[in-house]
Amino acid sequence: MSKKKITLTILLFLVFTDILETFTQFCFKKAALAQSASNIADLSQVAAFLADTVSSPFLWIGLLSVLSTFVIWSTILSKIDLSVAVPIASFSYILVPITSIIFFHEKVVLLRWIGISFILMGVILVSLTSKEEK
Amino acid sequence: MRSGLLLIFGLIVLTSICDTICQLFLKTSINSLGEFSSRRLINVLRFILKLILKPKAWIALLFSTLSLCIWLIVLSKADLNFAFSVDSMHYIFIALASGLILKEKVGVLRWTGTSLIVAGITFVMLT
Repeated sequence: MSKKKITLTILLFLVFTDILETFTQFCFKKAALAQSASNIADLSQVAAFLADTVSSPFLWIGLLSVLSTFVIWSTILSKIDLSVAVPIASFSYILVPITSIIFFHEKVVLLRWIGISFILMGVILVSLTSKEEK
Repeated sequence: MRSGLLLIFGLIVLTSICDTICQLFLKTSINSLGEFSSRRLINVLRFILKLILKPKAWIALLFSTLSLCIWLIVLSKADLNFAFSVDSMHYIFIALASGLILKEKVGVLRWTGTSLIVAGITFVMLT
């Protein structure tokens, strides 16, 4: 089954899934930070932490974002090949560190950027092999 | 700090394994539903309904929830950019599981890509 070429609309939706994925991680990080969970040592503390997290609105916004990503992603995949979609959708590997720097004041050193670029290249290579045999 | 790093790494391995198990159950339950060709809304709804009735789909949901719980614990302890990068190891587990359990063909190019991901994670871990 050959699929249509990528259009501007699909490209925009792909970029949107990048942003949504990053937003999801932002929300989950916010939800996790909202609790004073710096030292989870035993199982009862784990349970208490998770119970607290459930009460954070960020967790639910994050879950909603996961659901939206899933719906948009499934729609995109019915229109273009996975091997085209994944490389564009994996720019969240760059967007997430940028978000981390801006909103959570995390530090990303050069060696880590090099590691991230290796991961990105790897993800792109893996997705190139997903083309269905015609 | 080293032992803390090891714990976080272990938790990310665990969440990636849960993710992989989730994908395996989802894939096998979807495979058992047969070919999905029509895009008409009624067929999409019927497909989803049939999927919900599969116990394996619920096992997938269970592992997905478990994976999220572990992920939240990871995020409470580690930098987001670190955790997110290292979490890409699920590509490795999925490649292994697809080859070994689902008996899918995993070609040279895919293994090359997977090795690049391993190299990338190693670099990120070193920082």
